[in-house]
Amino acid sequence: MIDIEALEFHYAHGEFHLTVPRMSVARGEKVAVIGPSGSGKTTLLNLIAGIIRPQQGRVTVADQAVSSFSDAKRRDFRISNIGFVFQDFELLDYLNVLDNILHPYRITGALKLTSQVQQQAIDLANGLGIGDKLKRYSGELSQGEKQRAAICRALLPQPQLILADEATGNLDPRNKGRIIDLLFENIESHGASLLAVTHDHELLPRFDRVIDFLDFRTETAA
Amino acid sequence: MINSLYIAWHYLVFNKLRSATLVACITLIAFLPMALQLVLTESEQMLQSRAASTPLLLGARGSALDLVMKSLYFGDEVPGIVSMQAADEITDTGLGYAIPLYLRFQARNKPIVGTNIDYFDFRKLKLAQGRMLAMLGECVIGASVADEYGLLPGDSIVSSPDTLFDLAGVYALKMNITGVLERSHTADDQAVFVDLNTAWVIEGLGHGHEDLSKTRDSSVILKRTEDNITANAKLFQYTEITEENRDGFHFHGDASIYPLTAVIAIPNDTKAATLLRGRYLENQQYRIVRPTEVIEGLLENLFRIKSVIDSVIAIVGLATVLAIILVFALSVRLRQRELTTIFKLGCSRMTAVKLIAAEIVIILSASSIISAGLLSVVLANAETLVRILIFN
Amino acid sequence: MNTIIRPFIVSLLLLASMAASAADVLTVYTVNYPLAFFAQQIGGKHIKVVLPMPPDIDPAFWEPDVMDIAGFQQADLILLNGAGYSKWLKRASLPRRKLVNTSAAFQHDYISVKQTATHRHGPGGDHSHAGTAFTTWLDLNQAIQQARAIMLALEKHRPEQTDNFRQNFTLLETELDDLDKTIRNTVAKDPEKLFLASHPVYQYLARRYNINLKSMMWEPELVPDNSQWIALQQLLGTHDAKWMMWEGEPDEQSAARLQTSGISSLVFNPCANVPDDGDFISVMKNNIMEIDKVFRR
Repeated sequence: MIDIEALEFHYAHGEFHLTVPRMSVARGEKVAVIGPSGSGKTTLLNLIAGIIRPQQGRVTVADQAVSSFSDAKRRDFRISNIGFVFQDFELLDYLNVLDNILHPYRITGALKLTSQVQQQAIDLANGLGIGDKLKRYSGELSQGEKQRAAICRALLPQPQLILADEATGNLDPRNKGRIIDLLFENIESHGASLLAVTHDHELLPRFDRVIDFLDFRTETAA
Repeated sequence: MINSLYIAWHYLVFNKLRSATLVACITLIAFLPMALQLVLTESEQMLQSRAASTPLLLGARGSALDLVMKSLYFGDEVPGIVSMQAADEITDTGLGYAIPLYLRFQARNKPIVGTNIDYFDFRKLKLAQGRMLAMLGECVIGASVADEYGLLPGDSIVSSPDTLFDLAGVYALKMNITGVLERSHTADDQAVFVDLNTAWVIEGLGHGHEDLSKTRDSSVILKRTEDNITANAKLFQYTEITEENRDGFHFHGDASIYPLTAVIAIPNDTKAATLLRGRYLENQQYRIVRPTEVIEGLLENLFRIKSVIDSVIAIVGLATVLAIILVFALSVRLRQRELTTIFKLGCSRMTAVKLIAAEIVIILSASSIISAGLLSVVLANAETLVRILIFN
Repeated sequence: MNTIIRPFIVSLLLLASMAASAADVLTVYTVNYPLAFFAQQIGGKHIKVVLPMPPDIDPAFWEPDVMDIAGFQQADLILLNGAGYSKWLKRASLPRRKLVNTSAAFQHDYISVKQTATHRHGPGGDHSHAGTAFTTWLDLNQAIQQARAIMLALEKHRPEQTDNFRQNFTLLETELDDLDKTIRNTVAKDPEKLFLASHPVYQYLARRYNINLKSMMWEPELVPDNSQWIALQQLLGTHDAKWMMWEGEPDEQSAARLQTSGISSLVFNPCANVPDDGDFISVMKNNIMEIDKVFRR
């Protein structure tokens, strides 16, 4: 699913420099990424998603050389093939749960919002246990319910790859395990791959593989 | 675009206060100058058409504007008084004919116009109901008076005393309504028309009472001589003119000195108009004005004031627009995280522009609809607004 | 075809001209018979004269009703006598523009009358003669001026008929002037003759023709009561008249009782309303004949 070769990346300003000689994630594989803060884990996810481009090297996702795409092509590829789950859920407080789930379909022409898609969203929400919360707004939900809604949003386009950045970071211990279980269930049922950045070592055994960022060389200003 | 509008709509509804404030600001900035223009255009049309249809106006020396506003639009001004002789003098010149006006009194806050029948032909006023006034004590009312108070021919209306506490002041007279005029969309719609003599009865120059030569109550008689019988204040004076007591109504003194507010002079032709105006150039007591000239002066001033108001509104409008831009800019900053998220999800930077644009479209549309609604209300009531703002 | 079309066209033209003529006729309302007579004489077929009061009413004391007022309002011209003749004017709403005060030219010569008691005669109700004497036309020179005022008013409305109106006026003026001269010549025969008048309506007649006349407040159809006879006797003490001038034929009793006091009766009809017979001129001629009998003696 993911192939990275000789990746070199640095921001325009600052001393941060990321080097990833080689990294891969197989189809259907669930991989955790760990590492110290500031090591570039989120930057790696952004490179894989095509949000930013490396100065050198190649990033391939689902056999597509994403790092060589144009901005527009990368965006279209991203929204159709990659789902994001964020630490802070990133739900819009002015939309209800259903509209949040359907949000990607309203912000790009690459996805078409049909009645079938709406039904799929409802089914997905029912599957994640928030089917009765669809008319509620994020301010009325618990942390766990918010993350479930975020997961629904990520999964609805049936992406091939899910990128989770500290998806359980703001959840209590009881919910963390439950959310990971739900995430794993739905990824497995869709046959998607998962690359999850996490600080939560208790969850690591559930993943197929763990990538330690210390294996990659990152340099930052002291 | 539909989706952008959908998202923008929900954002605006969620932030009701912000949205309402923005809509209110833009509505005010859009509505005010247009409403002002509407009212001014309407007032210009009303003022000019009325003035154009009135060739000349004679009144006491003093403010020409007061004279015109009172005589043509029945405003609250109080110009000086002229006498009935002034009307007779115009007629005697043979240069035209005169329509006297006495406008001192009111009935239920509506101006009483004391004049004669010629006024109705002159102003091309037609009856919608009933008949023209014929006898002392009768009146004909304008369409708005009839509508406002639900009055019909056969009803009555009482003149208002000058002040509540003026015991020696004019008495209220109950007047019988004989007719209701068709709506003319002029000041005449708001008026109660009586014969000049009826207005003078209200003034107290004419009155009716029991025949002193036949009274059984000697206590009302102050003095009796061979030629004259003088009554004291005990003598009851009729407050309503009926068929039974109308014959007893009479006037005292020389009618040529009875008061008028103004005289409309209708010259036979242009030359006659010039001659008439020339006669009063040096007159110390009276003046003749051309209402169109006076109104043009007023309108010039009004539009001058409007220019100033427009400038102020423009500056305030500019400040408001800048404030609105600031609000949107701050809003974008506040929503930076949301915008970053949707960018991460896979939309272009243009999407953010579309979302903001959609909000602006919705706000502008809402403002436009509200402004249009308010303007239509102003348009429907322009005549009333002009009357309240300019004449009263 | 010509037998149909031509008469048809002629009929149409005739109808059109009739309609036009009807529209051209001025409607003239007057307040007494003399003015109506003068107007008709001057205006001829170009005017329609309306004297709205009934013939048995003294027009000076007539009170119009709403329908009458409406008629006045619709008129093209309203001829007023002036001198306070129509007391109802102040109580009615008439278009000033159409009003013509026929005696305006001599308004400074009106005769004032002192307060008199109210009285009643005929169906007109109580009234008084106080104020200004109003039988202005009995001074036939004034009558000519009133006729002239009527002519000028008609000319203003129908300037195209000016020549016509002037011609008619001249004829009328000649007749009135003749009457005026005749009365003066008649009175000149005995200028010191004293007269009584049954009613205060001859002020202008007396002034114009220098008739020494004092008025009572009697009615032709009513027999004077005792107080009235006493008043007469008192008056005779300073004004030893031998003739009483009546507006109409006096009651026989009144005439007979006067005769016992050495006072004869004569009728001088002011002709304020439509005469039973004749017209204004013929009535004045009759009046002249009556006074001529007196002055011959």
